[in-house]
Amino acid sequence: MSSRIFPRLAVALAILALAQPVFAHEQVGVAGGLASGLLHPLTGMDHLIAMVAVGIWGAQLGAPAIWVLPITFPLVMALGGVLGVLRIPLPMPEVVIALSALVLGAAVALRLRLPFAAAAIVVAVFAVFHGHTHGAELPGSANPLAYGVGFVVATGLLHLCGITIGTLTRWPAGGRLIQGLGVVIAALGCYFLAQSLGAVA
Amino acid sequence: MKYWLAFTSIATAALIASAQTADAHIVASRLGDFYTGALHPLTDLQDLILWAAMGVLAGSLGASKGRWLVLAFPLGLLAGLGLGRATGFVSAGPAADAGMILVLGLLLAAAVRMPMALLCAIAFGLAVMRGAANAGDLGPETNRLLFAAGLACAGYAAITLTMAVTLAFRRPEAGASMAWRGIAIRAFGGWIAAIGLMMVGFAYAS
Repeated sequence: MSSRIFPRLAVALAILALAQPVFAHEQVGVAGGLASGLLHPLTGMDHLIAMVAVGIWGAQLGAPAIWVLPITFPLVMALGGVLGVLRIPLPMPEVVIALSALVLGAAVALRLRLPFAAAAIVVAVFAVFHGHTHGAELPGSANPLAYGVGFVVATGLLHLCGITIGTLTRWPAGGRLIQGLGVVIAALGCYFLAQSLGAVA
Repeated sequence: MKYWLAFTSIATAALIASAQTADAHIVASRLGDFYTGALHPLTDLQDLILWAAMGVLAGSLGASKGRWLVLAFPLGLLAGLGLGRATGFVSAGPAADAGMILVLGLLLAAAVRMPMALLCAIAFGLAVMRGAANAGDLGPETNRLLFAAGLACAGYAAITLTMAVTLAFRRPEAGASMAWRGIAIRAFGGWIAAIGLMMVGFAYAS
């Protein structure tokens, strides 16, 4: 019995020793650029919750915010993206991005009804900072054009997700549920803010 | 019964004996350069974005204004291909392509109503640009006529189908209940403009 085990063990060890890492999804070319662009806003929790919160707040504010938002937000964000591409620094980007989640979450939780121009300015300032972070990654990506397509589409879909969630405000229970969601987003924003200020590890 | 079986066996044997290799993909035949011309722009993200944006813009302006692009766009591609071959002019540069993406996106996002002549001029100019860019990859052994025919057919099919899909999606006759569709098209324009703006920045940064 033991004479059969040793050769098998030797083969198994040889196979393990010859093992190499497998790259099922190589991040190269158009596919690589597209994948990294699509995943960039989705894998950063601070970006993700802020983008969803923008959509929800737009839905709470109603017309014209609900339709101006998806048309203009990507453009304003792209302005920030250009600043990132050109390596023009912005003051305290991580702090402002964390603050965006806190402020937008609080606006959703409190059903804050600012005048449209004021709401647009608040969202635009945050959009520039979010775009700056994404844009800074663009020149180093596998395919810059595909990366740009990926991150604009991902951001747009996150807004759409927020607007869809925001349609729950038509029902009283849905409205309260959304306000609860705003509290969660604001709490996460608080955590990210504390993290960016070095208060938590 | 025996005769029928014998006849069937002989017929089957004759069929098997006369079997030849089948060419499912006639790329291997002389028409290969036609497919090269047709597929070349469809494998370039720059072409895909610009052609799609042009088609959606034309479709959003209605069939009466957009229908002339069915002719103008493929003719522009042919003119650009000819220009590229004759003068060696291949591309106006990445900033020009990115600028074109930005302009088309802004026109879509702002839902600008433009005259048919201007729309045709933009489409023709874009097609000349992209036709010349596609000429850059023409090899010395490539059959230019077949390549040009393939490119023009791809341009015709892409612009016609994109316009048709946009028109069918928009349905302006459906009234206020379908207004969100117009907003969705404008949001698509916002996305295109955002991509163009970043690529303009990237073109100047690199």
